[in-house]
Amino acid sequence: MNLYLYSAGIISPAGSNKDADFPVIPTADKGRLFCKEPDYTGLIPPMQLRRMSKVVRTGIAASKISLQKAGIEKPDAISIGTAMGCLQDTEVFLTKMVEQDEQMLTPTAFIQSTHNTVSGQIALLCGCNGHNLTFVQRGHSFEHALINAELYLQDHPGESMLVGGIDELTDNSFKALSKAGIYSNDTIAGEGAGFFIASDQPNTGKNILVNDLLCFTAKNIEEALKKVEGFISCHSSTVAIDTLIAGRNGDKAMDIFYDRVSTIIAPANEISFKDKCGEYPTASAFAIGLLLSKAADDNAMKHVVMVNHFKHYYSCWLLQVI
Amino acid sequence: MVSAAYIVNTGIICAIGNDTQTCLQSLRDSRHGIGKAEYLKTFWADEIPVAEIKATNEQLAAMTGVNSNWPRTALLSAIAVQEALQPFAEKIKGLRTGFFSANTVGGMDLTEAVYKNIKENIEQVDINNYKSHECGAVTQLVADAFGLDGFVTTISTACSSSANSIMMAAQMIENGMLDIAIAGGADSLSRFTLNGFNTLMILDRQLCQPFDNNRRGLNLGEGAGYILLMSKRAAEQCGVSPIATVSGYANANDAYHQTASSPDGIGNKLAMGNAMKKAGLQPADIKYINLHGTGTANNDSSEGKAVEVIFEGNVPMASSTKAYTGHTLGAAAGVEAVFSVLSIQHGLVYPNLRWVSQMEDVRFKPVTELKEGIDVQHVLSNSFGFGGNCSSLVFSKCS
Repeated sequence: MNLYLYSAGIISPAGSNKDADFPVIPTADKGRLFCKEPDYTGLIPPMQLRRMSKVVRTGIAASKISLQKAGIEKPDAISIGTAMGCLQDTEVFLTKMVEQDEQMLTPTAFIQSTHNTVSGQIALLCGCNGHNLTFVQRGHSFEHALINAELYLQDHPGESMLVGGIDELTDNSFKALSKAGIYSNDTIAGEGAGFFIASDQPNTGKNILVNDLLCFTAKNIEEALKKVEGFISCHSSTVAIDTLIAGRNGDKAMDIFYDRVSTIIAPANEISFKDKCGEYPTASAFAIGLLLSKAADDNAMKHVVMVNHFKHYYSCWLLQVI
Repeated sequence: MVSAAYIVNTGIICAIGNDTQTCLQSLRDSRHGIGKAEYLKTFWADEIPVAEIKATNEQLAAMTGVNSNWPRTALLSAIAVQEALQPFAEKIKGLRTGFFSANTVGGMDLTEAVYKNIKENIEQVDINNYKSHECGAVTQLVADAFGLDGFVTTISTACSSSANSIMMAAQMIENGMLDIAIAGGADSLSRFTLNGFNTLMILDRQLCQPFDNNRRGLNLGEGAGYILLMSKRAAEQCGVSPIATVSGYANANDAYHQTASSPDGIGNKLAMGNAMKKAGLQPADIKYINLHGTGTANNDSSEGKAVEVIFEGNVPMASSTKAYTGHTLGAAAGVEAVFSVLSIQHGLVYPNLRWVSQMEDVRFKPVTELKEGIDVQHVLSNSFGFGGNCSSLVFSKCS
């Protein structure tokens, strides 16, 4: 894999990287971390902002931050991952449908509930007629958006693709997912929007080069560790890994997994990120944004491995800061 | 390119049949599947016709031996995947197999049934009724049931979803990342979708008439459609003669409106043009266009105009099969990929049912009677949808 990511646009519980104080340490509200949204002036016209649900406005604004940083008005293509899609609009339409017994409904919430709303809206706002995809594969949604970027850029070398990971947390999804056991132990629920420009060529600023990306599901920690070990051994002879980004989410059982991963890699630095963004299926997009932010003034991180999980969906990333 | 993406088998279930052969016979017999909703419990059952599969969830589950508490979309997906995969289940062991599915509302049929209680009294709700709410959860149920533990993904781009899953599968076969791929999509009817489209006032109260001047809207349908793709080497290893290839694909965005198509089909033209370019074909090479043809005033007008521009007035045989199956949304391009493959395999072009009058703003006339004995070398299949997503696929006969 040979995919450069640069010009991050992040909106998260740790704030937005549009602001100088990013990342702030967030405080959880009843086990939840909600996005600390930026001033949208200059990102979304006020008339349109009023009609947008949270995932739509954070997604569009984060994409705009990314494009502005890269000095791109219109990307050549768009590839987005979202596990849950537009929950708030889905809930608005569902509530009315149930309460009004399917009568006297209005279309707005339904229109904005489709999973490709954000990618479609971005295309609409910047007039991008190019390739446009939305992946909805749970804890692999953002990862698959990047694999798609790799496929696209092989056919379209030199082009710039906007890639992103977005998910929102709502009261009802929190209730439902808590009951389903997603946020076990001390896991804090989260949400966020993270966008980047993906290219087969590096940008003049800081880049994250994705050298390898392995996505897998595993029934238990042992099975997952075997896969991670295989991934590391593939690369350890050629690369001296200095930094591990670990998807520790407060779950004590998963700490055992990450402790073992840390032992295998023995990195000089370990970075956790879910204390800043909470647990959600596309949190790896936030992690890449955080890495780019840290790398801006820290040259110690060069060869990075990220290991992340959401439920039984795992990903291993071999990254290079350039 | 390491290998072309060869189509070796198909799997389908929709309102005109529970498998490929039954659907083929219905297509030959001009037998549509649209009527009153019997299994979807909706306020609108008497008023809005749908293309429903006439089976309970228990009956559908029994067809593959999976659990009937799955979302209906997963039950449909399993049936079509089983048909596509079963003849090769043993032969593909050890080969790198991917599963590329698509849907638009995941397990919404179960979620909407208990949604009031999720809001008001979560303790009373059985988590089985919403734990498969996510689109990806539906795909994962099917992947697990068939032991598909390689690359598994789900794409959701509204009505074009499964065209994109087929496109990505073809790309990963072509560049050697996979040996085998099952690609397509599934969607069941749900009250959420029916009511959503109803608020947009694009649902026909009668049987839909795509590409007719007096068309009134679309009929929603349900179904699942998949094609089984193999690399050349995998096909040889499995001892199978491919039927066709996915020779071209393109995805574009109309960037005009969240739900409506631009009047002259900007995205449609880009998708069709780039798909043919990818296939290395000229418009004159296309024998049959399986149109998106939903039956709405907007779609058929912009699609029709875009087709006329791309084909410079020499429009090949064209028809929409949604007059048979309804609009199966996330499954539509999968279902129509199967129909396109059957067109190539059996030399057929299907009639655009119920066509009566010529559209005022489009000059070409769709095919209105079954054409047999045609040498169909290349089929172009269109899928356009919400969010401006426009995708076209080209299927070509294996020489």
